[in-house]
Amino acid sequence: MNRKKDKGFETPLFLNVLTCYVMFIPHTTHQVVCINNINFQRKSVIGFVELTIFPTVVNLNRIKLNSKQCRIYRVRVNDLEAPFIYNDPTLEVCHHESKQRNLNYFSSAYTAAVSAVDPDAGHGELVIKVPSELWKQGDEMNVLKVYIEFSLDQPKGGLHFVVPDVEGSMAERGAHVFSFGYQNSTRFWFPCVDSYSELCTWKLEFTVDASMVAVSCGDLVETVYTHDMRKKTFHYVLPIPTAASNISLSVGPFEILVEPYMHEVTHFCLPQLLPLLKHSMSYLHEIFEFYEEILTCRYPYSCFKTVFVDEAYVQVSSYASMSIFSTNLLHSAMIIDQTPLTRQCLAQALAQQFFGCFISRMSWADEWVLKGISGYIYGLYLKKTFGVNQYRHWIKEELDKMVEYELKMGGVLLHPTFGGGKDKDNPTPHLHFSIKHPHTLSWKYYKMFQCKAHLVMRLIENRISMEFMLQVFNKLLSLASTASSQKYQSHMWSQMLVSTHSFLKSISNVSGKDIGPLIKQWVDQSAVVKFFGSFAFNRKRNVLELEIRQDYTSSGTQKYVGPIKVTVQELDGSFNHTLQIEENSLKHDIPCHSKSRRNKKKKIPLMNGEEVDMDLSAMDADSPLLWIRIDPDMSILRKVEFEQADFMWQYQLRYERDVVAQEESILALEKFPTPASRLALTDILEQDQCFYKVRQGACFCLAKIANSMMSTWTGPPAMKSLFTRMFCCKSCPNIVKTNTFISFQSYFLQKTMPVAMAQLRDIQNLCPKDVLNFILDLIKYNDNRKNKFSDNYYRAELIDALTNSLTPAISISNEVRTVDNLNGDVRLILEEITRSLNMEKLLPSYRNTITVSCLRAIRMLQKNGHIPSDPSLFKSYAEYGHFVDVRVAALEAVVDYTRGMHRTSPSEVSRTHPIPYVVHKILSMLGKNPPFTKAAESPLCNEALVDQLWKLMNSGTSHDWRLRCDAVNLYYTLFGLTRPSCLPLPELGLVLNLKEKKAVLNPTIKPEQGPDTTEMTGITMGVHIPGLITMETVSSVSMSSGVAPPPQGLKRKLDSVVGPLGSSSPEPGQVLQEEDTSKKFKIRFNTVEEDEIDMESPHDSQAFIHHHLNILERPSTPGKEPPAVDQAVLSLPVTPLPSSFGKESTSSSKHSGDHHHHHHHHEHKKKKKKKHKHKHKHKHESKDKERDSHAFSNSPASGRSARSPSMSD
Amino acid sequence: MADPAVMAGGFTFRGGKATSSPAENYQLARRRTLQVVVSSLLTECGFESAEKAAVESLTEMIQRYISEVGRCAKAYCEHTARITPTLSDTVVTLIEMGFNVNTLPVYAKRSQRMVITAPPVTNAPVIPKALIAGQKRTHPSHIPSHFPEFPDPHTYIKTPTFREPVSDYQVVREKAASQRRDVERALTRFMAKTGETQSLFKDDITAFPLIAARPSSIPYLSALLPSELELQTLEETDSSEQDDQTDSENTPGNNLNDDPGADKENSMLPPGGVVPSVKASEENMIDNPYLRPVKKPKVRRKK
Repeated sequence: MNRKKDKGFETPLFLNVLTCYVMFIPHTTHQVVCINNINFQRKSVIGFVELTIFPTVVNLNRIKLNSKQCRIYRVRVNDLEAPFIYNDPTLEVCHHESKQRNLNYFSSAYTAAVSAVDPDAGHGELVIKVPSELWKQGDEMNVLKVYIEFSLDQPKGGLHFVVPDVEGSMAERGAHVFSFGYQNSTRFWFPCVDSYSELCTWKLEFTVDASMVAVSCGDLVETVYTHDMRKKTFHYVLPIPTAASNISLSVGPFEILVEPYMHEVTHFCLPQLLPLLKHSMSYLHEIFEFYEEILTCRYPYSCFKTVFVDEAYVQVSSYASMSIFSTNLLHSAMIIDQTPLTRQCLAQALAQQFFGCFISRMSWADEWVLKGISGYIYGLYLKKTFGVNQYRHWIKEELDKMVEYELKMGGVLLHPTFGGGKDKDNPTPHLHFSIKHPHTLSWKYYKMFQCKAHLVMRLIENRISMEFMLQVFNKLLSLASTASSQKYQSHMWSQMLVSTHSFLKSISNVSGKDIGPLIKQWVDQSAVVKFFGSFAFNRKRNVLELEIRQDYTSSGTQKYVGPIKVTVQELDGSFNHTLQIEENSLKHDIPCHSKSRRNKKKKIPLMNGEEVDMDLSAMDADSPLLWIRIDPDMSILRKVEFEQADFMWQYQLRYERDVVAQEESILALEKFPTPASRLALTDILEQDQCFYKVRQGACFCLAKIANSMMSTWTGPPAMKSLFTRMFCCKSCPNIVKTNTFISFQSYFLQKTMPVAMAQLRDIQNLCPKDVLNFILDLIKYNDNRKNKFSDNYYRAELIDALTNSLTPAISISNEVRTVDNLNGDVRLILEEITRSLNMEKLLPSYRNTITVSCLRAIRMLQKNGHIPSDPSLFKSYAEYGHFVDVRVAALEAVVDYTRGMHRTSPSEVSRTHPIPYVVHKILSMLGKNPPFTKAAESPLCNEALVDQLWKLMNSGTSHDWRLRCDAVNLYYTLFGLTRPSCLPLPELGLVLNLKEKKAVLNPTIKPEQGPDTTEMTGITMGVHIPGLITMETVSSVSMSSGVAPPPQGLKRKLDSVVGPLGSSSPEPGQVLQEEDTSKKFKIRFNTVEEDEIDMESPHDSQAFIHHHLNILERPSTPGKEPPAVDQAVLSLPVTPLPSSFGKESTSSSKHSGDHHHHHHHHEHKKKKKKKHKHKHKHKHESKDKERDSHAFSNSPASGRSARSPSMSD
Repeated sequence: MADPAVMAGGFTFRGGKATSSPAENYQLARRRTLQVVVSSLLTECGFESAEKAAVESLTEMIQRYISEVGRCAKAYCEHTARITPTLSDTVVTLIEMGFNVNTLPVYAKRSQRMVITAPPVTNAPVIPKALIAGQKRTHPSHIPSHFPEFPDPHTYIKTPTFREPVSDYQVVREKAASQRRDVERALTRFMAKTGETQSLFKDDITAFPLIAARPSSIPYLSALLPSELELQTLEETDSSEQDDQTDSENTPGNNLNDDPGADKENSMLPPGGVVPSVKASEENMIDNPYLRPVKKPKVRRKK
């Protein structure tokens, strides 16, 4: 792709980045952010920033900053008006109504667009021309002060406004606003150098309503009333050099809680939640103590703030000296299940304060170090607080998750170096997105990336010992804290940035060990190792012949060479062996220590020194081997499939004390449905000392085994008698004891057992009547009156158990489901569900867990054909205004519905506010459970859907990196990398549909409808699915086509298929893209910046990319005009606009939205004459531009109103 | 004067419908007499005719006046522990109401006065009898007979019902469970009947009615805060944690009261409102910037 860039990246990345910004980026040393006005009603923000820039180059004539969606009124450099250009190529990734529609093309264009504004490379959306008067100053290296006035109007990214629709003042309503974003996203809410490597000191000022509190980074110096006493200004100072990306803000009528143990820590929550906050935070000081102790380092900032907000983007996000959490993490003392989760979130946030906020990263490629260290010390915290079992369980879980992802998707690369090798500049060709920038990553990939990072840190710890590891961390921190107190001029600040190189150097300095091979294997290289193990015992030689094979050819795998630990439990004890995995040796001989003869000695020593009695009758008389484990400490990122006899697994389950081994054996025993396995599992279930998660796993395994052993199973259904013995009354075994939940272990077991039991099936493949009645009795006799804990999770799991017990209805297909032909058992189940769901309305449970379970149950009933399949119930629960967990559950059901039914639903109207988290959830759920995939044929796969989705990722999600990547993921799942198969070739007017044996007029040209019904429904569906997506994103607009009854509505639907922009509704923002464009127009209307206009037309921003980077090898870009960037920089004095533009701007934006409609419609019709159209448009705009400027110079007000009609012709 | 029928004269029977009950007849007759009085007074003053409405109004006024005189007179007499008003009571009443009593004899003896026939005798209304339950008790010997009678037996008698309390654990649990279930079912059915519902079936929308999902404007509050029932349960079950509980229960009240807005910072946050777990002595030591008072703007800042 970009050759020039490749060259630049050939040097080691660490150095390269340094040179990079020494050369291009003048340093910001101090930045002032002042937000004067936050309007909750209009969701707008007005303020200014002032950057103190230290020019490191002579003749600095241009400054590039990052800024997205901000409207910039004026820029001054040292009090001189400065012209500027604003161009954001990521607004619309692919220009031209390209018929390409292939993901490869999109991904490269997107990467190019992100690169074009990458602050690490010295680029930015906002280019300021330094007035020539100041050029000389550059020579003398004097500081420049860049002053930028900006505003934000209804931001879709960066800042999130939550304004509940109730009576009262904003404070009474609990309205609040907070910053959010994925990776460096600060540019969304104020202009800055949005890079983690660009550190500067900060002064932050926020003027908010007197009833509100503004919480931001740094120390609150003072709070001052404004002159009218109706507002107050919060003055924050952050003297520690901090990256702009680590700056955040939240404003709301928060309740304040000062941490009783540490007065410099302050917690904030929304009104009425203070008691919950008090309880949830009662633990925080211990986490503080833990980290400070292991790192032997004080918490780096002088204060810490936690803010709990509604509609949070992620559960936890950390910024310099503050963290923003989801309010849903708060809980009362009655809640069991949420408690550990909340504490874990707190611990994560705090770990990131040290590594991530205080210590930042040199470049994106070094991200893994920060994520790794913070994840690693978080793991240490887990180990200390929740115990070794929990820790090892967590490590196994994370490892399994990551291995599964890598094997499925291809490798996860921690430390990408670009352009080094010969395989082009893409180190991960197996992925459908680029990993060059954090903003192009799929969210799931990023999760796995974090997961791998901390696992690798653990591997390093295994190699150099924990002591050294902590010393390294301490060294990094102390260097950074020394640097932080220095002045900028001392050039010490880069010590606060960690890079892979510096990290590795510290490790080798501290430990004196060479961890090069380890880094090479796991950090510089993607993929995991896949082992297959089997063994034979050679009796004559008394040797264990172990064979370890590897699969390193399939995707996501790599070859491992090096040591591997094998633990063999023999009769005489447990022995560790370290084998060397080499190129060609598969077999390893391990001498056994014990003779195969049965020892008289009864006790068998275990690994941990314990000696136990075992019943050895099950084992092979000739062999002394009890069980064998490969890589028991998980010191390789691997998947092991090991074969050993069933009795060995059973011994391992019973007697191995490591929870990981126990879980492995439980998994393995699924394949051995024998009475012995049953006994082993039952024993584990009954053992109090056993880790509760192992016992939970045993429940499910037992259910599976029972199902496999169906014909030979004797006695009552599995687990029933066990449950009765453990949890039911002695005198009346059919009645469960009243809840106490004093022992959490038994609580979790009590929750799990019914769910597992419900998976049991009899010979007819139905859930046994016994079991169902048993569960119904549990629900009936559940009594929580004497319990100090809430039973909401338990009751929810009982509903889940009911769900699990459901089996497909026996019926003739297409039979309409009615109440009368409802199966008796199902009727009972449905009654329970109905009652529980209704009770939730009157007495809602914590986090509405029961509603969530009920919705799942109803979907399952529908899916199994017991009740008519109908998404309308779920749609009502998916609406804005329900608790987020409920919405997600409901949306999941709707997504499932679109998959299950290849029919359309009458309406797909979900009136919702755009909550980024929910939209993200929808997209990822659609990705996980797609209505169809690239492999399968589906009537849903049609051009309209392609168009919608394309539009969504191309321009509709420009405000949120995560969403865009989600959209890309979905597109990939649905259509694959290449051009979607359902698209007609662009040249052809007629499309032959071989399957249906007929020709259809190319729908891009004319929306004529064929008589085929399947296709009709297909198309309507096509509208509906993205309808779901866009509806979510776009604020509360009902899709007219969706509501209309099918027969008459068809025509209208088709219209919207062809051009969603061409729909007759004149509302702005009906479709995402429109909103964006209208925003662009708005900028023009209001600021009348001549400079900006050129940049706005897609044509020129395209050219912009070309010019600066020569990136795109576009298949068809003839007649490209050289960009006229410099020409565009007219040094017209910019008239600052009075801040009272409010109404006019909205009205004009409406017009512009309208105007855009036309254009697009136009576009659609004239797709073939793409190029012509473009020129035409361009001309149009320049004409308008002239007109604009005239109008403005004559009379601004009249000009503004007169312009909008002129635009729309 | 203190005639209860007059006292209750607020009723109007303008409809003039044929009435049947003796009470109404009684009142109608009195009213008619009053009307005659008004008409004769009018004639006396020289009116030849009057609109019906006017007459009605005057009747109403006179009735009110008489009622008031009666009521006051009765009050006076009761004040002096009598039960029948005397002349002096009436006189005091009239004086109290601003009537010059001295003019009364002259007025009464005026020449042109008209004589009105007494109202027809009708039976006084009968007070309906209360339900008779049981035997009415007579006074025991030690109570003088002039004391009021016992109230109707239904107001005090009780019917003893007695059953062995069920102590069998199984039965108790069974009963508690089914009772709770019945209550829940009835309650949800009622809610479903009276409000909007959603249905799972198209053919029979009453089959399994679900209370319609209604979005709330602040959904997290109900989802996160423990319900009152739960709090109550907690209180009942655990007295050892009573202190903690009341603490956390009181605080939301506090916060609601002192309104999370306006002068929160200004008032330095009431002790206990924010850091209740810290003793008062420590209170002074807390130096948190968010608790400091908000500064007044500097006047000098104007430029």
